[in-house]
Amino acid sequence: MEGLMCRNIVKRYGKKTVLDQVDLTLEHGKIYGLIGRNGAGKTTLLSVLTAQNPASEGQVSCDGLPVWENPEALEKICFSRELNPMNGMSANAMKAKEYLKIASIYFPHWDQALADRLVRLFGLDVKKRICKLSKGMMSMVTIIVAMASKAEFTLLDEPVAGLDVVAREQFYQVLLEEFQNTGRTFLISTHIIEEAANIFEEVIMIDKGRIILKENTEDLLEHCVCISGKDDVVDAAAAGLETHHPERIGRGKTVMVRLKEGQSLDASADVDVRGVTLQQVFVALCGEEEHV
Amino acid sequence: MKELLTQEKSIYIQIKEKIENDILRDIIMEEEKVPSTNELARIYTINPATAAKGINLLVDEGILYKKRGIGMFVTDGAKQMIVSKRKKAFYDTYIRSLLQEAEGLGITKREVIAMIEEGHEGGK
Repeated sequence: MEGLMCRNIVKRYGKKTVLDQVDLTLEHGKIYGLIGRNGAGKTTLLSVLTAQNPASEGQVSCDGLPVWENPEALEKICFSRELNPMNGMSANAMKAKEYLKIASIYFPHWDQALADRLVRLFGLDVKKRICKLSKGMMSMVTIIVAMASKAEFTLLDEPVAGLDVVAREQFYQVLLEEFQNTGRTFLISTHIIEEAANIFEEVIMIDKGRIILKENTEDLLEHCVCISGKDDVVDAAAAGLETHHPERIGRGKTVMVRLKEGQSLDASADVDVRGVTLQQVFVALCGEEEHV
Repeated sequence: MKELLTQEKSIYIQIKEKIENDILRDIIMEEEKVPSTNELARIYTINPATAAKGINLLVDEGILYKKRGIGMFVTDGAKQMIVSKRKKAFYDTYIRSLLQEAEGLGITKREVIAMIEEGHEGGK
């Protein structure tokens, strides 16, 4: 079984179910985007996939090998965690260069030249202690670890959080360059959806602990449209189709339609049709109760 | 049903049209090499698979051809192919929506023709 995959993953903290029956396969040679609201289970999923956190139920395997306490599988995997000065991690008192040094020992395929290049690119002061770094600088450290790990499956948890727009752009460029050079698989969680949407070959949406969507980004955007017009005309045009996020204004109505394979809109209907962005699809699928 | 707004075209379509525009404007000449998938991915910050999809459409249409191990090149006669293709699409792309809007506003065919003849003075 090629790829990093999990089957029937359940993760509970006490009575709270954080991941609920999650099946996911990451193939070799793709860049995946993981998007979900705060508390949807993104970080828990990433930590379970990389054996940093045991699942309550279910299995995770990497190219057919179970990942839990299995060095042979784990050497192919990197989960560069978000650094957080508040969570009392032991990394806080360390200098950035000490943190990178530890990473270089931990990851067997570590590329020191790449790490050095990225430190220079981001202008990171590695003599500073982790707890003294700004949010953006902490993100730079996690990005450097992820890239230099050279792990076949590299998972990044909100790598662009706190980065300014220039540094974000640099990150996307570094990511694409590394992807083109190596064909490594990347899974990137982010809240800044629109600027990364075009980088993701596939997008995975997680909501309340469940994977609600995993699809080629371009295909998804081609199959989702917003239609608007007079409410009864819109209802007729959308009859029998999967609809989300209806909004009414007077006699007018707007609704997002997700077309399935082989479905199409009635070309004669007097409605306006426009394309949607990935962010709009996400809000339509994961933000519905906000509009009650 | 009204046409999709042009700014919401798929990225690979935009890549395809961008290369076509570059050929039309002599930015890339016939028999010259076009940027590779990886270069396009980096220039536009997009997934290389998306860039490849746009390039492949142009290969399918015969506007680009592949030289093994070297890259993609503009076919001799590609510029003319793009012009005639776009001429054919002109009615669907521009005229149809123009007439639809005119009909909704109660503008007669005669008035539309008059506007076209007057050029920009006829109104926006």
